[in-house]
Amino acid sequence: MSFREKSAWITLVTVLVCFGAYFTELFGGLAGANHHFGGGWHSLHLLLLSVLALVVLQITLTCIAALTTPKDGRGPADERERLIQLRSHSLGYHVLMVLAVGLFAPAFFGHRGLEMANFALLAVVIATLTVAVAQIFMYRRGV
Amino acid sequence: MALPIANQIRRLRFEAGEMTQSELAERIGMTRQTVAAIEAGKYSPSLEAAFRIAHVFGVGLDAVFQWTGEA
Repeated sequence: MSFREKSAWITLVTVLVCFGAYFTELFGGLAGANHHFGGGWHSLHLLLLSVLALVVLQITLTCIAALTTPKDGRGPADERERLIQLRSHSLGYHVLMVLAVGLFAPAFFGHRGLEMANFALLAVVIATLTVAVAQIFMYRRGV
Repeated sequence: MALPIANQIRRLRFEAGEMTQSELAERIGMTRQTVAAIEAGKYSPSLEAAFRIAHVFGVGLDAVFQWTGEA
């Protein structure tokens, strides 16, 4: 497995874990009496913790991946890898554009401020996951 | 996903003194994983890359790649 494919896996796993936990806590809190969607220190701590965990995990796992990848998997990107990057980011861009337009939906139903910011963050997370999954698919199954 | 191009790279590598995928990759300026993907029919190289591969083996392009798609 090349270093870039390992990076795609790292992105997929770390974003799923960190922001999966963040949004589960955030939206899960909606079901209860003490939901945190509206703001406050708890939701700020939650976001900061998620971002910090993501950064630490990504740095750690990326360093491990770099150390465990043989030299022939760590070279500059060639035409196939550039094509994979191009197609995956193009797909992620289109997903993000659709979700960005979709943000009008919660706005029409009265959501404002921090709630809309969290919906926008969710759109970015979904687009990031789309890019990672697309890259992994193309590395595994072919371009 | 099956590409409509077959190749003889694996055979040509063995005939060229059992050249490894890494050695071929280094000579054509690509990664070993890309050479493996080309051999497995998972990636169609660019025209330039195809010519570089043929040049390494000292054969023509059609000795390395064959069109297997619909006529």
